[in-house]
Amino acid sequence: MKPDFSNRLFNYFSWGCSILLIGAVLTIISFLIANGYNVLSLHLIFDDTRPLDAIFLKTQVFDGLFPAIAGTVFLILLSILFAVPIGLATGIFLAEYCPPKIKRHFSLLFDILAGIPSIVVGLFGFCVTLFLHHYFYSRLFPCLLISAFSLAFLILPYIIRTTQISLETLPLSVRLTAPGLGATKLQNIFYVLLPSSLSGILSGIILSIGRCAEDTAVIMLTGAVASAGIPRSVFSSFEALPFYIYYISSQYSDNSELMKGYGACLILLFICITLFVLAHWIKKRLYQKILYQP
Amino acid sequence: MLMNKKIKINVQNLWFYYNDHPVLEDISLEIPQNTITAVTGPSGQGKSTFLMTLNRLWENIEGPRIKGRIEIRFTSNFQNIYDKRYNVSDLRRQVGMVFQVPNPLPMSIYNNIAFPLKLKGEKNKKLVTFRVEDALKRSFLWDEVKDRLNKDARALSGGQQQRLCIARALVLNPQVLLLDEPTSSLDDTSGRVIEDLLLELKKECTMILVSHYLDQVKRIADSGMVLSNRQMKQQW
Repeated sequence: MKPDFSNRLFNYFSWGCSILLIGAVLTIISFLIANGYNVLSLHLIFDDTRPLDAIFLKTQVFDGLFPAIAGTVFLILLSILFAVPIGLATGIFLAEYCPPKIKRHFSLLFDILAGIPSIVVGLFGFCVTLFLHHYFYSRLFPCLLISAFSLAFLILPYIIRTTQISLETLPLSVRLTAPGLGATKLQNIFYVLLPSSLSGILSGIILSIGRCAEDTAVIMLTGAVASAGIPRSVFSSFEALPFYIYYISSQYSDNSELMKGYGACLILLFICITLFVLAHWIKKRLYQKILYQP
Repeated sequence: MLMNKKIKINVQNLWFYYNDHPVLEDISLEIPQNTITAVTGPSGQGKSTFLMTLNRLWENIEGPRIKGRIEIRFTSNFQNIYDKRYNVSDLRRQVGMVFQVPNPLPMSIYNNIAFPLKLKGEKNKKLVTFRVEDALKRSFLWDEVKDRLNKDARALSGGQQQRLCIARALVLNPQVLLLDEPTSSLDDTSGRVIEDLLLELKKECTMILVSHYLDQVKRIADSGMVLSNRQMKQQW
């Protein structure tokens, strides 16, 4: 085969794969929009309650998606809040401080952690709850806090690995700039290396947001229920959109209920997109703050 | 003429190994104060490595090992720069370095120049502003950037970026300046501006210049060394 021909063949193949993938994503999204668009309304979210009354918790929403939306948003934010500081610190440790021998072992362990099925993580969270319930605090049941902890466990490997890899792949010229000007190791990490790898780190966080938003297995075992209302505290059980979608699609009694499931899918997508945009905005602000403020 | 000048840097029996493979072998030399010493030689022979032994920057890379003694006279006495009690950040504030490819940080022009002062913990904003302006003037960049100090430094031209990096190295008033082929990524005109700048800086700094261009070396250097086969030889 001529090299030119194989080159072109591979080129077409790559194009084909990309188009196939994008086509699949677009098909799914348009299918969701086609089915869910008609039910998408304030009524779907708030039922007969006035939106402001619901948002300010004056009236409870019984048949709308509002509690599930609130539950999902709280869950994502809480998990990210737990996972980001620990993940960042571990990633920095692996990339900058860890001796090579230990690094090999640690990396293997984090890869194993990334490969653990989420249902197992859920089971682990459930067992921890049982243990704590029996021996320490008998009023503790599966709840928002436990779910968020378990999810944090699930997404930690992503954040650790993306932080580590973005730091390790910085070119030597970037690495040596600040030390050459008298920076200590810590100053170099915080003033130059972390800001320079912000994009990579953020992609890890975005991946994690998506993972938190979609995961059903973990929360099913650790605190999500079909109807709970807005969670009153981190110790109460909660509703979540993916759980609602799972529940409605397996137990719907008529077509209108199934359509509500499609509506919930669209809302879940919308929440994810909003959080991605928020993450980018925070990154931009951080850049401004770290780098441009005189 | 050089003999009359005070010795600034004294290198004695310097060996440098990268993963137990010798890069520099038994190098000894003396560098007089307020001069430009050029180091030339084929590429890949460790010229940049030699520069990095003078500010200990190689310690930030994994693999190398060093043997020998390097002393620099910052005050009236020689200081062994590899003394365990000697602070490496202090050393690097006295021995500035400019790299082959300009490496402005992703910050505004002002913040780039003020960065070493920030690292040092300088809180006095008036002093910082004064020193930034002074450094930019000394590196012939002030007139070109004074109206856009808050713009991204990476938007400057290559020559301007390199002068920015020199200004950033100068803001701490270093006594020694290490220059690793500072004009090789620039066009002739920008290169000439930097050469003029270096001649001007000789009043305050002792400079070691790694360069590929023999004509450049002849134009501005006071003495020349050649590094090849791991050995350093005085050329003139």
